[in-house]
Amino acid sequence: MTAQVLFKNRHPDRIATLAEYRHSGGYEALAKVLADSSRQQVQQVLTDAVLLGRGGAAFPAGVKLSTVAADAPYPRYVVCNADEMEPGTFKDRVLIHADPHQLLEGICLAGFAVDAHEGIIFIRPEYEGAARILEREIALAEKEGLLGQNILGSGFDFDIIVHRSGGRYICGEVTAQLNAIMGRRPNPQQPPPYPTEKGLWDRPTVLQNVETLCCMPHIVRNGADWFKGLARTESGAGTKIFGISGRVRRPGCFELPMGVRLSEIIENHAGGMAEGSRFKACLPGGASTGFLPAEHYDIPMDFESLKQAGNRLGTGAIMVFDHRTCLVGVTLNLMEFFARESCGWCTPCREGLPVIRELLREIEEGRGKPEYVGVLKEMGRHLWNAYCAFAPGAAAPLESLLAHFADEVQEHIERKACPFG
Amino acid sequence: MIKLIIDNLRVEVPPGTRVIDAAEQAGIMIPRFCYHPALGAVGACRVCAVQVLEGSCRGIRMSCMIEAEEGMVISTTDEEAVAFRRQVIEWLMANHPHDCPVCDEGGQCLLQDMTVSGGHGRRRLPVKKRTHIDQHLGPLVVHEMNRCIQCYRCVRFYREYAGYTDLGVMGSAGRVYFGRRSDGVLESPFAGNLIDVCPTGVFTDRPSRFKGRYWDFERTPSVCIHCSLGCRVTVNTRYREVVRVEAAHDPQVNGWFICDRGRYGFPYASSPQRPRSARIDGRKSGVDEALDEAARRLSGIAQRHGSGSVALAASGRVCLETLGALTRFGSEKGWRGPFFRAGPRTAEALQSASKNLEEKISISLKDIEKSDFILLVGCDPVNEAPMLALSVRQARRRGAVVALADARSVQLPLDARRLALRPSQLTAALMRFAGKAVADGGAALSDRARGFLQACRDSRVDPAVDEQIDHLGLAARESRRPVVVCGTSAVAPDTPAAAANVARLLAAEGRKAGFFPVLPGANALALGLAGRTADHGAALREALEKGDVRALVVVETNLSELGFSADDPLLENLEALVVCDCLDSAAGRAARVFIPTQTVFEAGGTFVSAEARVREARPAFRGGTPVAQVSGGGHPPRTFSPDIPGADPLPAWQVLAALAREGTRVSADTLRKALPAPLCGAAPGKRLALPASAPDAFQPPEDPATAADGGLEVVVCEHIFGSEPLSRRAACLQELESAPRLGLHPGDAAALQLSAGQRVAVDCGRGVIEGEIEIVNEMARGVLLVPRLRGIDWHAAADGPLVVAVADIRSVKPNGES
Repeated sequence: MTAQVLFKNRHPDRIATLAEYRHSGGYEALAKVLADSSRQQVQQVLTDAVLLGRGGAAFPAGVKLSTVAADAPYPRYVVCNADEMEPGTFKDRVLIHADPHQLLEGICLAGFAVDAHEGIIFIRPEYEGAARILEREIALAEKEGLLGQNILGSGFDFDIIVHRSGGRYICGEVTAQLNAIMGRRPNPQQPPPYPTEKGLWDRPTVLQNVETLCCMPHIVRNGADWFKGLARTESGAGTKIFGISGRVRRPGCFELPMGVRLSEIIENHAGGMAEGSRFKACLPGGASTGFLPAEHYDIPMDFESLKQAGNRLGTGAIMVFDHRTCLVGVTLNLMEFFARESCGWCTPCREGLPVIRELLREIEEGRGKPEYVGVLKEMGRHLWNAYCAFAPGAAAPLESLLAHFADEVQEHIERKACPFG
Repeated sequence: MIKLIIDNLRVEVPPGTRVIDAAEQAGIMIPRFCYHPALGAVGACRVCAVQVLEGSCRGIRMSCMIEAEEGMVISTTDEEAVAFRRQVIEWLMANHPHDCPVCDEGGQCLLQDMTVSGGHGRRRLPVKKRTHIDQHLGPLVVHEMNRCIQCYRCVRFYREYAGYTDLGVMGSAGRVYFGRRSDGVLESPFAGNLIDVCPTGVFTDRPSRFKGRYWDFERTPSVCIHCSLGCRVTVNTRYREVVRVEAAHDPQVNGWFICDRGRYGFPYASSPQRPRSARIDGRKSGVDEALDEAARRLSGIAQRHGSGSVALAASGRVCLETLGALTRFGSEKGWRGPFFRAGPRTAEALQSASKNLEEKISISLKDIEKSDFILLVGCDPVNEAPMLALSVRQARRRGAVVALADARSVQLPLDARRLALRPSQLTAALMRFAGKAVADGGAALSDRARGFLQACRDSRVDPAVDEQIDHLGLAARESRRPVVVCGTSAVAPDTPAAAANVARLLAAEGRKAGFFPVLPGANALALGLAGRTADHGAALREALEKGDVRALVVVETNLSELGFSADDPLLENLEALVVCDCLDSAAGRAARVFIPTQTVFEAGGTFVSAEARVREARPAFRGGTPVAQVSGGGHPPRTFSPDIPGADPLPAWQVLAALAREGTRVSADTLRKALPAPLCGAAPGKRLALPASAPDAFQPPEDPATAADGGLEVVVCEHIFGSEPLSRRAACLQELESAPRLGLHPGDAAALQLSAGQRVAVDCGRGVIEGEIEIVNEMARGVLLVPRLRGIDWHAAADGPLVVAVADIRSVKPNGES
């Protein structure tokens, strides 16, 4: 079994208690920084640890914290993005259910690093159970002096509230999420100004993914080198929670070293391919990454390696498709999702995605015309000129379908039917 | 200046210019739907894509979202940029109906232009068009959501720019919907601008529906004459009828927008009730005959009783040419007047506002948008000068402090600090405010300014409000561009002068301070500058009573504004009542001689707006009864006649020349030159050459008015719809008029034992005002609000805030019995 950091206290049947978390070293990092560290030291150790944002965009977390200027106005906010709506992704829910205090400590540390005094957990409404756990544990932490006023007698105050999302995928986008918290329409807002300069109510706001925040206490406690050493590859750092689903024998959520090979995840941890299934492709990091064809079956799963393969690690949610799965159908399914979840702000996303969905439907249902392939390619390319990263995310599976599985698309058109029935 | 290259052209623009605007300056029109100069860039439509070849952000970029940089190289014709723009059009057209031939936006549609010019003409997408349910949004705007391309301009104008919230955006993804929560009349009095900002046909003009297509209309630059701001408009005419008015862009005044009173106030010009023939003693006659007859009677009366027995009456409605004719022929003939406004109070208020407008403190609506502190004194922007409210809102959006000192419960589309004061308290309040707003002892000030400052510091209003005023004054200390806006109807006579002096004082301190008057009528400033203070309605009344005036020539004026009722018995004393007007009025019907005049749409005319800007309206058409009214409703409307039926009316200035027996061939130019300085130098498009310093600058008010004891100050309130004499004849606006009710503060109502809905009669000395009581929470105590609306005979209170004793107010039954 590989080193378990974030899942150290994970039990198959229950949530780790505060006592268990503290027993395993929990809240030591917070106590340490409150006693003898500066904001800058915390930012520095996170930067040195090369902790990259685990929500999909892979932005260095330490760098993000350091963009809040020392003389920036107050109040400042930390937002924890628990709006986990990327299809195939379920790691944040598992993290909260496994060890909620790990997240609370991470949020509090991020707050300390930017001198914020309020944290907001923005959680998707389907995670009502997780939201209640968090609310309960926040109250417990407050009672023990680990949150709220004058934390551990240090004079540092930090409150965390849980905010339930209205329930749209776009609310997971940073600026859309901030708009949603402020009660506005969740339309993304192109920077500048960046949220760390003008976020919630025009005040500096740092937004981080659940998993990223969960890494923070461990890095602060054990140091940057320790964290980097956890990875399997030179280019990676830390561990990564991989959520694997699809045609494997044992789907689930595994904490593995960054850079672990895809083949190893499937074979050693997910129990191999399902009965009678052959690996055809996977989406390596959620719905807005491209299809990774079989030639990359052995790829090391870290940000850099996938980038070199023209793909993205995204959220690390691996969806495995076998030789009997129609990838046109899969892409159509994804487009149904993206077309429905667009915020409706810009033309490529609002109008382009439904059109792409309809063209894919025509092909899948045997009414496709040869010229549709060209139209889809063009439109996929043009999605990149949308307002935010939503439409380019939707373009990823479409473009990789057309690039790697052109024959399969062609076969649909020629046979005037889906070859997979 | 920033130098960049766009499509191989060298372009120089000021820093901060967006690439889309830089290109426009170079004559390259980049397509756009969501971008609008007044509403800003939001990057929603993506049709303004260009290729950035050199610069900090290379690649396909939206030209509205990036600023010009030194050395930047932009291509608008780049293959990929063009391909993407075409794609955007194809996507938008995927759901847009193909109803251009019957769409009311056809010919004036940005989407149509871009689709045609981009070459998109073949549908290759097998998708069904989405459909929406339209809403009924009231008498002015038609809603057809299927045509929407989701540029968000409508909500950005309606909510962000104008500050109203009943129209918004709902839904997400492909189901985005722009409208109200449910059908209903749009609440904003600026809703008509939705039609102008919408790049397609979602919002179209209801009154002009089925009157023709865009390309059928003759379009003429003109000026709005429904208030004193002088907004620029475009007039559309067809078949001898004014069918539509749109906003025209004026960067200094109205920007891109106008109010609904200005947009929909025009139907008086083509109304079937409009008088088109002259009348002598109730008998129809030719205009020439009536002019001869009137001139004969006037000269007869002048011979019998002296030339001073002939009087002229005018209002802020008359243009500069007519005012010139009144001045020139009046003085040549020795006639009295022109008499204007109801009495000494309102006449003084208008004149002190006009004569205090001097170069240093005069500002434009655009300047108001840039100010950081705005004090509105005795003026109700939305109802008296609507576009002023939008300018104040833009300043507020940029962080300006806005404060209101008023007797009424003034509603603005922004949050403002409120001081509920009686008109008689306004002058003292203004001065007390100024005393606090000036921080030091005023060492740098002139002696006169210092004297005024001292008077300000000694000023007391009421212990209950002094503290609030002081807070406001302190808040104004830091402002660099303070503005005092002052009305002339709900104020004390000396308030406008005090407002100007406060602005002067703040300017003397080295700030960029401004004074902006809100005046009664499109040309009221000119009337205030040209008229004599003593020539007001009350003086005319006295002269009539004494028999000094035997003949009255009323030129484009409602006699109620001079304090007369429609059936005033004094008018019966006249030997000759000559009325010259384009409107059908009670006075016109009672006139011995009635002479129809042309409207601004036929005659054109020059007007001086409240900010002393000379505004020119060009004749939009030659006049005559609309074809639809003489053709029996047939289609196509055809009439055959050697001349134009109903085209007898003349411009009012020609009528006056004829009455003075000068013939009608008088040049408009000469008439303007007959006016006193600075009006005689008025050049269209320019501002008047204002005096550098008004003669009685820094003159403290002689005797600061004291609070009325026990009685109520009666304030006549103008409403955006239903008050202004021209626009109140528009049927579409009549639907939007408020119910006429007399407003009372809850405390006063309790003291008088009156409750909401009760009917009262108020004896104003010259007449009785009767109406239903409405309890108004935010208004001042000690005030009775009288709406200038149909159903209320407000003329008895026309001369500004007059005081009535409690005993003069009695409860009446609906049928009028006590």
